[in-house]
Amino acid sequence: MARKMEPRRRSPSGKWEYIWPMWLTLLLHVVAIFLFTRGFLLTRTELPYYSSCSDISQSPCFSSSDNLNSTTNSSDGSCWTKPAINRLVIIVLDALRFDFVAPSSFFPESKPWMDKLQVLRMVASRNGSSARIFKAFADPPTTSLQRLKGLTTGGLPTFVDVGNSFGAPAIVEDNLIHQLVQNGKKVLMMGDDTWTQLFPHHFERSYPYPSFNVKDLDTVDNGCIDHLIPSLHEENWDVLISHFLGVDHAGHIFGVDSNPMIEKLQQYNNILERVIEELESQSGPGGLHENTMLIVMGDHGQTLNGDHGGGGSEEVETAVFAMNFKKPPSSIPPEFDSSACRLDMDGNNVCISSMQQLDFAATVSALIGIPFPYGSIGRINPELYALGARRWDLGAPQEPSESDVWMQNYANVLCVNSWQVKRYIDVYSASSAVGFSSDDLSRIASTYAQAESHWLHSTKKLLSGSKNGSDTILPTLQKQIDAYFNFLATVAELARLKWTEFDLKLMISGILIMLLSIIFQILSMLRGNKQLGIFMPLSGASGIFSISTLAYVLLAIRACSFLSNSYILEEGKVANFLLATSGIVMLRYAVRKEKLLPESFGFLLLCAFCQFSIEVGLTKQAATSAFMKEHTSWILNITSGFPVWEFVAEVAPMLALILLAFLLYKATNNSSFKWAWKYTIRSTILSYMLILLHWISDGNRIGFALMPESIGRNYVPRIIYAISLGQLLLLSFGALFEDNSLDCKKNLITKTVAILSAWSSTVILLSGKQGPMIACASTIGGYCILRMDNTGERTTERPSSSSAVDPFRVMQWSLFAVCLFFCSGHWCAFDGLRYGAAFVGFEEFVLIRQAILLTIDTFGFSIILPVLGLPFLVATMKQANQTKHFIYTQLSQAYVMYGLSTAITTTFAILCVTVQRRHLMVWGLFAPKFVFDVVGLLLTDIFTCWASLYYFDQVKDDQ
Amino acid sequence: MAKATATKDSAIDGSPFISASEALIVQLLCGCSLAFSLWVANSVYSIHLLTDPSNTLLLIWIIELPIVILLYSRYRRNRKRCTYLRAVGRGLLALPAGAAINFLGAVALGAPVTIQYLPKTVNWSLMMSVFTTVPASCVLGSSWADWRRIFAQTKPNGSIEYLICLPAHGAVIGGWFGAWPMPLDWERPWQEWPICVSYGAITGYLVAMVASLGFALAHNRSCLPKRD
Repeated sequence: MARKMEPRRRSPSGKWEYIWPMWLTLLLHVVAIFLFTRGFLLTRTELPYYSSCSDISQSPCFSSSDNLNSTTNSSDGSCWTKPAINRLVIIVLDALRFDFVAPSSFFPESKPWMDKLQVLRMVASRNGSSARIFKAFADPPTTSLQRLKGLTTGGLPTFVDVGNSFGAPAIVEDNLIHQLVQNGKKVLMMGDDTWTQLFPHHFERSYPYPSFNVKDLDTVDNGCIDHLIPSLHEENWDVLISHFLGVDHAGHIFGVDSNPMIEKLQQYNNILERVIEELESQSGPGGLHENTMLIVMGDHGQTLNGDHGGGGSEEVETAVFAMNFKKPPSSIPPEFDSSACRLDMDGNNVCISSMQQLDFAATVSALIGIPFPYGSIGRINPELYALGARRWDLGAPQEPSESDVWMQNYANVLCVNSWQVKRYIDVYSASSAVGFSSDDLSRIASTYAQAESHWLHSTKKLLSGSKNGSDTILPTLQKQIDAYFNFLATVAELARLKWTEFDLKLMISGILIMLLSIIFQILSMLRGNKQLGIFMPLSGASGIFSISTLAYVLLAIRACSFLSNSYILEEGKVANFLLATSGIVMLRYAVRKEKLLPESFGFLLLCAFCQFSIEVGLTKQAATSAFMKEHTSWILNITSGFPVWEFVAEVAPMLALILLAFLLYKATNNSSFKWAWKYTIRSTILSYMLILLHWISDGNRIGFALMPESIGRNYVPRIIYAISLGQLLLLSFGALFEDNSLDCKKNLITKTVAILSAWSSTVILLSGKQGPMIACASTIGGYCILRMDNTGERTTERPSSSSAVDPFRVMQWSLFAVCLFFCSGHWCAFDGLRYGAAFVGFEEFVLIRQAILLTIDTFGFSIILPVLGLPFLVATMKQANQTKHFIYTQLSQAYVMYGLSTAITTTFAILCVTVQRRHLMVWGLFAPKFVFDVVGLLLTDIFTCWASLYYFDQVKDDQ
Repeated sequence: MAKATATKDSAIDGSPFISASEALIVQLLCGCSLAFSLWVANSVYSIHLLTDPSNTLLLIWIIELPIVILLYSRYRRNRKRCTYLRAVGRGLLALPAGAAINFLGAVALGAPVTIQYLPKTVNWSLMMSVFTTVPASCVLGSSWADWRRIFAQTKPNGSIEYLICLPAHGAVIGGWFGAWPMPLDWERPWQEWPICVSYGAITGYLVAMVASLGFALAHNRSCLPKRD
C-alpha cells in the first residue's frame, strides 16, 4: 500500500468545497447565453390572421368582379385578381445555384458544372417562347426550411427558425398553400418531406421522402421522378409541387465541382426536358395543360463547398425559370424589363431578368387569382406576372394596344398588392410588442397615402371612366405604378431592417452576466492561490513576469482577434501561431535551463504539423471538389495522385492506432494500477482492434470480404459505442467504491487514463481515418506540455510559489485544444460539421442520437479529451506537498483557469457579434462562430462539472 | 556553478572592445548595405519585395552576408587562437544552420509549405540567418554558454554583444509582428507571405540596431573608468 495520508489541519467538509465554483460558473453561463441568444437570434411575431376573398371590398381598388374592362365575366371563381393561369407546376431544385441555370457566357469563366441544365436555356432563348429565366435573390438565412417558409408566406423568416429546421414544425401563418386550399385548389406534392411537415393537412395527395440523410443522393429524386410524369397526365390537381433534393445533398457531401453533382444536373436536365415536352404536347386548345405554367426554381444557392445558410452572394443567388405554354407574350413595357441579354455559346440570345424571392408568393397568388397571404410583403413582379397575364386581352378588340391593357390591369393588381401590404404592416404594428418604430410607420403611411390619393383622384377615374386616348392614360398609369413601387420598396427595405433587428437590452444583460462570471472565475482562481498558501503573485518579479504574463498576453491577443472577420476566418492559423509562439518561448526556457530540449523541440515540430493540417483544412474550407466530407480526413486530400501515397494514407492511420494501443498497454502494465481499473482500460484496446477491423472491412483497397457488409458497417461501431458506454458506467460507479488508500496522485492519474481511454475509442472512430493521427499528435503535444513544468523558472527561484498551477501551461493546454479542433478538419461554420460522422454505425436518422454523435465528433478532440485530461497537469507537478486537500485545491484551480480561458474567448466572440451585428457577414461568419463558441463553452462547463464529480471524492481525512 | 563562472571568465577574457565610433561604423555599414541591396534590386534588376520577393530577399542576403561576416569577424572572440579566416568560415557555416532554425520557426508559426512558396521561405530564412546567427557565430564561435546567455537569457555582456543580441531579437520580434496583418482581408499584395514579415523583420532589425548603438554607448561609458 502506498503512503498513508496524514490528516490535515482545517479539513474541508467535502468535495463540494472544491467544485462549487464550477457549478456556479455553469449556471451563470447558461443564464447569460440564454439571455443573449434570446436577444440576438431574431424573432418575428407570426400573426394568426388569414386573407379571404371578401376582404377586397375594403380596398380602394377594383375587384375582379367589377371588371374594369368588362370583357370577361366574373364567374370564374376568382376574387382578388383575375386568374391568368389555371394550373401551375412548381419544380423546386434544392440549392440550385444561379450558374447552374444561366449560360456560362454570363460568367467570366466556364466551369464544369455550368451549362448542364441545357433545356431551360434552350427554351428560354427559343424565339417566340413565353419562357424566361430569372436571377432570384433569396433573403438569408438560406436554409431550406426558412426559404420554403419565405416562399410560401411572402415574408422574411428569421434566423431563430433555423433551430426548428430539425423539427420542421407546421407553418401556422397565412401562406400560399393555405390560400390555395382555401380557394378550392387541389395541391399535389412530391419530394422533400419538409413540405409535409410544414403543411401537414394541406395537400390533396403527397409523396414525401425523407430528406435528412445527406449521404443519400437519390431516394427523394427517384421518388419525384416516379410520380412527376404520370401526374402530368392527371386532371385532379391544380398545383403540383415537386421538390428535388439531390443537388443539395451532392453539394453537402461532394461539393459543387464533383462528378456526382454533374450527374445530378444531367439527370435533372433529362427530367425537365421530358416535363416540358409533356406539357407542351398537351397545351393545345382544350388540352389538359392549355393554361398551365411551369416554374422551375431553387430555394437558395450554395457555395462551391455545398454550404448554405448565410447571406453570401453564392448562397442567396438562385434561379427561377418560368414558362407559359399558352402563347408567346408580346413584349412587356420596357420600363419593367430588368433583363440583361447575352449570346450563349450556341449563338442564341438568352435574356435573364432578376427578381426577389420575397415577391414569389404575391406574384403566384396574383397569377392564380387567390388572395395574397396575409403576411406577404412582396411586390408582384411585373415580368413574371406578364408571363401569365395573357388571358383577358383576347376579347378586347377596342383597346388601343395590348400593353395598355396590361398596364391598366397591372396597376390595379398593384393597388390590391399595396393595400394588402399596408394592411399587414398596420396590423403587425398594432398587435406586436416590438412593432415598427413610429418614424418608419409614418414614412410608410405617407408613401402609401401619396400612392392612394393618386389612385383615387386620377387613375381610378381614368380607368373606370370613358376611354380616353392612350396618350393620357399611359403617363398616369406609369406614375401610379411608380408610386406603388415606391411604397412597396419602402416596406421591403424597412422590413428587412426590422427583421434583422436585435434586442439590445437582452443582449447587453447577457454580456454583463458573462462578465460577472469571468470576474467570479478570477476571484475563485485567486481564492485557490490563497488556499494554497500563496499571496498574490507579484507580476513584476522576473520569472513570473515573463512566463505567466505571456499566457495572459496570448489569451488577450486571441480574444481580440475575434473582433475582425478575417481573423475568425483564419482562426485555426491564428491559434496555431500563438501556440507556436508559446512553443518558441518554451524552447527558449529549455535552452536556458539546458533540459528538456527534445521535448520543446518536438513541440515546435508538432506545431508545424498542426499548421500543415490546418492549412489543408483551410483549403478545403475555401473550395474543394471531390472531397468526401464523410470520410473527413485531410489525409485523403493529400493522396490524390500517387498510389504509394494512397497506400501510405491507408496504412498510416492503422499503424498510429496500433501504436496508441501499444502505448495504452504499456501504461497499464504499470504496477500501480489495480486490476479492475486495468481491465477496464484494456478493453479500450479491444475497441481499437475493432476500429481496425471496421476500417479494413470498409475500405475497398484491402477489401476482402471478412464479413457481410452490413455487419461490418453498423454492428462494429455499435459494439465500440457499447464498450465505451460500459467503461464509462463502470468508471463512474468505480469512483464511488474506491478506497482511499492509494496515493492520491497516482489515483488521479489512473482515473484520468481510464476516462480518456474510455472516450478515445468513440472519438477516434467518429473522426475517421485521421482520428488516430490526431490522437497521436495530441498525446505527444500533451506529453510535451506536461514535461514543460520543469522548465519553468519559478520552481527553482521561488519554491514556495510552485504549488500554484502555472497559468502558462493551462493556457498552452487550451490553445492546443483549439488547434486540435482545426487540425481535425473542422471550422466554425455549419458546413464545417461532418454530417457523415453522425451516421457511423447507423443508417437512419434519429435526432438526439445523431446530434450526440455529431457533437462528439466535432468537439471530441478539442473539448472532451482536453477537459478530461486536465488532471495530468496537476498530477505531474513536482512538489513536496502531496495531501489530498492540496492536490484537489490545485485541480479545482486548474479547472477554473481552463474554464476562464474558454469563457474569455467566448465573451469576446459574443461581444464581437454584438458589435458586428450589422455586418454583411453576420449570418455567414459571426453567427456560426457565435454558435460554435457558445456550444463549446457550455460543453466545457458541462464536462468540467462532470469531471469534477468524477475526480473529486470525499476527503475523509478530517477525523 | 562552475560553468557559470567559466562563462563569466570567457566573457571578460575574450570579449573584444569596440569603441563607440567603431560600433557606429559597423551599424552604419550594415544598415547602408541593406539599403544598398534594396537599391540594387530596384534600379538594376527593377524588382522589389512586392514584385519578386524571392529574388529580392536573395539579393538582400547575398549583399548583406559578406559585409556582416567581414565586419563582425574583426571582433571575434579569442583573437589569439582564432584567425580572421576561421571566423569568416564559421560565419559562413552558421548561415545554413541559422536558416534551418528560422525555417522551422517560420513553418511552425504558419508559413506556407507548398512548393511555390519554398524559394521564398528559404530566401527569407537565409536573410533572417544573416540578421541573427551569422554575426553571433563570427564573434562567439561555438561557445554554447555564450549563445545561451545572449539568445536564451538576453543578458549581453560587453558592447559588441549588444550589437549582436539586440538586432537579432529585433529582427525576430519585428517579423513576428509583421505577420499580424497577413490574415486581414484588405487584399493588398504585401499581405502575402513573406513580404510583410520581411518588412517587419527589416524594420525591427533597423530599430534594434539604433537601440543597440545606444546600449553599446552606455555600456562603454560605464566601462571606461574600469578600464582605466
